[in-house]
Amino acid sequence: MTAVLDRPNAPAPAPRKPKRSVGRFLRSSLSGRLTFPLVVLATWLLSIQLVTAIWPFTVDVLPTPWQVGEFMWGEIRGDTLAPYNLYETFGISLRRLAVGMAIAIALGTVIGVAMGLSKSVNAFFNDWVVAILAMPNLAWALFASLAFGFGNTGPILTVVLTGIPFVIINVREGVRNTPSDLFDMARAFDVPRRDVIRHVLIPSLMPFLFAASRYAFALGWKGLVVAEVFGGQDGAGWTIKFWYDAHRAHGVVGYALFFVIFALVFEKFMFDQLSKRLFKWRPEVNGPEVVEQAFDPAAQAAAAGSSTTSAALESINQTTLGPPTEREPREAETRSKNDG
Amino acid sequence: MAEITVRNLHKEFGLGEDKVVALEDVNLEVSGHAFVSIVGASGCGKSTLLNILSGIETPTSGSVGITQDGKPADAGYVFQAARLLPWRSVMDNMLFVQKDRSDETRQRCQRYLEMVQLGDKGSKYPGELSGGMQQRVGIARAFSTEPDVLFMDEPFSHLDAITARTLRSELHSIWAETGKTVMFVTHDVGEAVELSDRILVFAKGGRLADDRKIELPFPRDVADQTVAIAKADVFRTFEEIGALAVS
Repeated sequence: MTAVLDRPNAPAPAPRKPKRSVGRFLRSSLSGRLTFPLVVLATWLLSIQLVTAIWPFTVDVLPTPWQVGEFMWGEIRGDTLAPYNLYETFGISLRRLAVGMAIAIALGTVIGVAMGLSKSVNAFFNDWVVAILAMPNLAWALFASLAFGFGNTGPILTVVLTGIPFVIINVREGVRNTPSDLFDMARAFDVPRRDVIRHVLIPSLMPFLFAASRYAFALGWKGLVVAEVFGGQDGAGWTIKFWYDAHRAHGVVGYALFFVIFALVFEKFMFDQLSKRLFKWRPEVNGPEVVEQAFDPAAQAAAAGSSTTSAALESINQTTLGPPTEREPREAETRSKNDG
Repeated sequence: MAEITVRNLHKEFGLGEDKVVALEDVNLEVSGHAFVSIVGASGCGKSTLLNILSGIETPTSGSVGITQDGKPADAGYVFQAARLLPWRSVMDNMLFVQKDRSDETRQRCQRYLEMVQLGDKGSKYPGELSGGMQQRVGIARAFSTEPDVLFMDEPFSHLDAITARTLRSELHSIWAETGKTVMFVTHDVGEAVELSDRILVFAKGGRLADDRKIELPFPRDVADQTVAIAKADVFRTFEEIGALAVS
């Protein structure tokens, strides 16, 4: 009797602790994240075994993870059969991306501000912004390579056209949502116009511009590769095609992986850090977990129990408008726009 | 000495069928060390009057003038919500409305933050403070410019009863010490009677319906009989005006 009563209390704490932390680790997002590459690797190896067992000749075509790894290691050391090594290639692409994004942000901001301020300017551009947004960037890439031939112009133009609608739409929403109560406050205290622009207007536009650059980067980067495949003589996209033409599957896969890694590193180290710096005043965005949630459509969908599309829209709203608590009146507006 | 003059003030919003008259033929004079409360039901133009006086809105017709010894006066404003810049720290919010950023100004800002018991919160962002604390920063900000005239638009209506009570008595002692002119909008008649030496009652349609002095000694206790009588008196006026508005 006493033994039964004692059991849960007496020896418990010491041995249970590690168990619980193992359990916590298994349930944590970190373990899920670490498991994913392992599952991918296993599936990869298994499917090669399976496919080559049925069609033995495919053994030359399907690259093993080791082949891809060896190729990537070679590229990292600067040892390549392609005309440009990894660093030169990404340097060329990055320069095009930077120029394209700079043009998209500058031009998009000007058009977005004008659209936010004037109804007639908005009417003038609105349908065309939607049309550009709907155009697949493959079409831009093909058109640009036809019109400008091989070189920098085509890829840069593709980046500009892919990115600019996001900048325009976000900046327009930013201008429409400028905090009029804060402008009134500044006027009541006779704050000079210069200070109002610097401390009220620009900071209030920053979240919108930031979200726009983030999307413009992700989509512009993809558009750039497509443009380089068709209209380039160098760059990441062209090099993927080089390995395709050389019939080296591990080169295509390896280069595509470089491409993804590059985008992820950029996202993590540039945009996340920038976001932390720019928006440290938002108490909700301080922790890394929250930032992740805001950009993770799947988590949003799970939480809201809704479709991935609406979750993606919600994540766009989160970036542009801030956490839900801060934006009740705006949210209603966005919703009705989405319906319409 | 600060002087506020309002002449034949008229303000309407919208056009055609949507037209709403916010203020109709308001005439008013306030001067010197006065605590003037403006009471009335919602939508009777109380806040509009304050917004016009502070220059946030412009009158449709008529004129307003706020002077300090003949020169244009400096004004401070406490809003219903704190209206702080969320991307600036509390201290930077205080400095945002100052004319300079000198050490002396910083010390003054710090002193007023201490006055509302937030002396240690200068480096925090507004989002890290509670609603009551943010409102106190808003009050400290308005006082920190040491304005000649102070406009307050229901500054305590979003606060809990205890915080509101503390701040009310603080506000009163600052007013008594500094001799400023305060224009105080509220829908709480008890608050108006407790704090002010003059009460303006606005009726629907933006008419100034009643203008009375409350000549009772400070500090006033709402439970005190004379204060309760004054309060009941204002309420009676309210009812009479309400009856007029309906007929």
